[in-house]
Amino acid sequence: MAKVTLTPDSGFARELMDAGGDSLKKCYQCATCSVACPMAPANNPYPRKEMVWASWGQKDKLMADPDIWLCHNCGNCAELCPRGAKPADVMAACRNVVYKNLVQPSKVGEWMSSPKGLPMLFLIPAILWLVIWAIRAAIVGAWFPRTEDGRIVFGQIFYGDYTIDPIFMITFFGAVYLLYKGCSKLWNSFKNGDGKLVVIGPTKPWYYHLLMLLWEEVGSHKKFDTCTAGPKTGQPENNRKFGHMCMIIGFVSLMIVTAIVAGGHWVGKVVPVLSIETPMPLTFPVKLLANFGAVVLLVGLVVLTIRRKRQNPKFFASNYQDWYLLGVIWLVALTGCLSQLFRLADAVHCAYLVYYLHLVFVWMLFAYLPWSKLGHLAYRTCALLFVRMYGRG
Amino acid sequence: MSSKIGVYFDAANIGGGLDVEALAAGVKAKWDSLVAVVRVFPVLAEQAQSIVKDIEDNGLDGVLICGASPRQDVELYRFPVLTERVNLREQCVLSYEDPLGNGLVPGQPAPELLVQLATDYINMGVVKLQKGSLPDSAALEKGVRRILVVGGGFTGLTAAAEAAASGYEVVLVEKTDRLGGAVNNIPTGSPLQGPWEDKESTNLAERIAAVEQNPKITVYMSSTVAKLAGQPGQYTLTLNTPEGEKTLEVGSAVVAAGWTPLDPKYMEAMGLGVSPKVMHAAEFGKQFLAGKITARRIAFVLDTTLAEEAAAKQKAEAEAEAQAAEQAAEAAPAEAPAEGEEAVFVKQNLESIEHLRYSNAVNSVGMLRLANTVCEKTNDVTQCYVLYKDMVVPGILERFYRKMQDRLGLMMTKADVTSIREEGDHMVVSCENTLLGMDFDLDCDLVVVPTGLVPVSAKEAIMQFEYRQGPDFPDLDLFDGYLDSNYICFPYETRRTGVYAAGCVRQPMTLDGCLQDARGAVLKAIQAIECAEHGVAVHPRSGDRTYPVFNFVRCTQCKRCTEECPFGALDDDEKGTPKPNPARCRRCGTCFGACPERVISFANYNIDQIGSMIREVSVPKDFKNEGPRILILACENDAYPALDMAALQGHTWSPYVRIIPVRCLGSVNAIWVSDAMSKGYDGVMLLGCKYGDDYQCHFVKGSELCARRMTNIAETLNRLGVEPERVEQFELAIDEAHCVTDMIDGFVKRIEQMGPNPFKAM
Repeated sequence: MAKVTLTPDSGFARELMDAGGDSLKKCYQCATCSVACPMAPANNPYPRKEMVWASWGQKDKLMADPDIWLCHNCGNCAELCPRGAKPADVMAACRNVVYKNLVQPSKVGEWMSSPKGLPMLFLIPAILWLVIWAIRAAIVGAWFPRTEDGRIVFGQIFYGDYTIDPIFMITFFGAVYLLYKGCSKLWNSFKNGDGKLVVIGPTKPWYYHLLMLLWEEVGSHKKFDTCTAGPKTGQPENNRKFGHMCMIIGFVSLMIVTAIVAGGHWVGKVVPVLSIETPMPLTFPVKLLANFGAVVLLVGLVVLTIRRKRQNPKFFASNYQDWYLLGVIWLVALTGCLSQLFRLADAVHCAYLVYYLHLVFVWMLFAYLPWSKLGHLAYRTCALLFVRMYGRG
Repeated sequence: MSSKIGVYFDAANIGGGLDVEALAAGVKAKWDSLVAVVRVFPVLAEQAQSIVKDIEDNGLDGVLICGASPRQDVELYRFPVLTERVNLREQCVLSYEDPLGNGLVPGQPAPELLVQLATDYINMGVVKLQKGSLPDSAALEKGVRRILVVGGGFTGLTAAAEAAASGYEVVLVEKTDRLGGAVNNIPTGSPLQGPWEDKESTNLAERIAAVEQNPKITVYMSSTVAKLAGQPGQYTLTLNTPEGEKTLEVGSAVVAAGWTPLDPKYMEAMGLGVSPKVMHAAEFGKQFLAGKITARRIAFVLDTTLAEEAAAKQKAEAEAEAQAAEQAAEAAPAEAPAEGEEAVFVKQNLESIEHLRYSNAVNSVGMLRLANTVCEKTNDVTQCYVLYKDMVVPGILERFYRKMQDRLGLMMTKADVTSIREEGDHMVVSCENTLLGMDFDLDCDLVVVPTGLVPVSAKEAIMQFEYRQGPDFPDLDLFDGYLDSNYICFPYETRRTGVYAAGCVRQPMTLDGCLQDARGAVLKAIQAIECAEHGVAVHPRSGDRTYPVFNFVRCTQCKRCTEECPFGALDDDEKGTPKPNPARCRRCGTCFGACPERVISFANYNIDQIGSMIREVSVPKDFKNEGPRILILACENDAYPALDMAALQGHTWSPYVRIIPVRCLGSVNAIWVSDAMSKGYDGVMLLGCKYGDDYQCHFVKGSELCARRMTNIAETLNRLGVEPERVEQFELAIDEAHCVTDMIDGFVKRIEQMGPNPFKAM
């Protein structure tokens, strides 16, 4: 009988505790959580099994477990736990550990996992953009230049063609590449994890499942409804779905704006009719969309931040990754809005300085995406897709 | 012997259309001068004072209260004279149904059968008073206010300190040369008080010092009990001490002799005694304290299935062998021991694998505590794997469990441990059906298996009683050797009055249990001395002033009473004449149930009295028209309350039965059955408690004894030409009120089909 030899690892359990799963030792395996969870399926439900794996430090098991991505953290499990454990937080901690270790260089993951890495994370883009600012300032001849007609145009310093566009394209596509690497690594570990379902007969292609997934789950946010529609535990309604939806709409709007502006700029070089010049007038539809996106993003941020602040710490904890992500998005949104306001208010020093910071934070948001909680947009989708295609085992 | 009786009717508690005035007139007419006062009160409870006045004014020496069950309003009717109660409410009016099974019609006068029933009961009550008397005192002149504590472990030390604090002298006897017992070998203890969360110091050194310095406590080290003779309040204790024998007077005893670890041979299948990397929990604690534990991966295996399966297999083999030996022995019968030779007492070793199972809770708590301690000591560098089948953490220690498991290095799963083996330089523990959702092997440096707590009572006769029934506690095999109580709700009782068990000799328990046990057992030991001084029973008939009185003139020295007493209360002399020890006695009456010569009696409960009550019932000759008469002797501890409750719950039964409470079915003397048969009763029901494995008898084996005596009764009946089926024993638990109707009516129906008792016509 070829049995596995289990390697209990209290070191990994400690890592999970540090990543937000501090209650994992409290579990005594009654499985109330698995029953309380409105999302857990009837066969092989979670998060009971994840709790015992966590306690025994079973890293491989947890990293290859798509179920940790299925949890949407409603907290019913924690509320009903007779031992005061917080299984949803342990699942979140598992995800944090995945963010930390999934892609190279894992040094970034390490920086991302605690406030100690924050100065490093900030300094990299800060120096990068400062160098560019200095070079351009030398070329333009001023650190805070104005156009001939006296307007403030950020492009004078942070010139699109040679600075912003290439750097952000490299950053963006680099992040996309890393996310792809991460997803395929996850995918393989899901596949190699034991007990997976064997699918017999023809299956639909992956892109069909992905489209259905985006349409049915991501677009509608229906999992959030399932979460709050779980057992009545007396939790206050927390507008999680609304806040999250605002964030997505805000980001998607701003991405469209960015794509149009970048497209207009580069395509405009060939087809001048389509050319878009920045700054755009405030009434220009693309500008309207941009400002709409910014406002919706801010609303989402306010809702989600208040929600986190109001959470009962007995049942939910917000870990560092949660706050990091919220914080960076806050900074991106605030510096974005402020730089426009300062520009319109003609406060030239403030405008450039804030715009510089805006670039730093946007870079932080995108460059570190594969190691951050925001990576869930790819990893969770990947896990959901896997489950749709192969089941959970 | 009441000769001037006051009969009082409590009209409010009778009802049923009975003409109470007529009943009162009937009593007066029948008993005339014996019954000096007959009164009917609308509500007797309000008139208890006038009864007291009657007693004073008229010089009454007996009071008969006719109304509710004697189990009701006990406090109301306590008088300085002999008092009896006639149960006219529950077992007469409320339970009445006519022979067809119909109940009473409200507003109608009582039917004739009900009047007969009530009259019979009242007359039986009068006779009971007439034939009873107030007990004289069996009080000791002076009880010895010194308590013997056997065992100087945690429980014994606590018991000694508590007894001394209550003002009693203490003799503490410790077998070894060191106080503290098993607690010497544990690094820290489980909690002893609120909030019941963390490990606690056992404060053993302080506890020992407190005992050693207490002037009321005398400690005998390296000593054992050589002999305990006498009775509560005046025991003579002989000790074996290093300085030779020593004799002392003691009043009562607490046995806290503790336990020894189960022989490793029972746990070979788990690797104990096979590999040096396997040790039991108590040994682990000892090694840990000595700083000898260096293992970094330790498996605590609570699942003992491996050992149990091996033991079951061995047992089957041994049984097969024994069977073969038996067959061989049959072929060549051994010489029977010579007649009349006194068997020499040989202590049967009751150690078995069962002790391991009983110790599961203690091991659950203990292993959590040990594993946590090891992890703590090494800052979780050590990993402890707790593999359990049943994690049993009793009561409030759940909080301790929480705290203990909240330790990084402590990992737990339910698992079927299928093998423990040595591989290379480490141990491998194979686990199946785990909570991790897979079967796996665990590599570890050390395996800790549970400790089986074998009570010392399973291997030694601790007290060396100089009793007629031998030096050891009886029936220990019923409890697999544990000196546990025969009552669920009175945990410290042993089958020897005045000797109380506490701690792990009674049950495997955690320290908080030992602490509570020590205190409880000391209270019982004090109570035993005090009760002996007052001449009353300790338990379960607490405060009963009666005691068995022997009429030695007629005694034939048959020894039945001395043998059958469940509590060894009776000693005897060389000729076999019983020697009563009232302070040891629990007043169950088993002796008088056993006595063929009927020489034993209690002041208010004797053979003639119950016999007269049986004869007092008017049994009609006309079986066909007036129906049978059936006597019920009901155990007053379980069956009698069950009957009361049945009536209160609206169950009814045949009007042909007459119920007499008895102290215990063990106290039923066969003569009563003969009395009933010659009087013309058509059947006798004996209602007792359950016996066998799930016995409920207050006196351990009363109903069992009765069942055994039934065979003798059946023989007698056969000889008389009466069908033995006319006498039947039933088991009726106190919570089986719903079974009463079927039980009684079913029996009545069987008797009706059988026809009249052949003696009826004579």
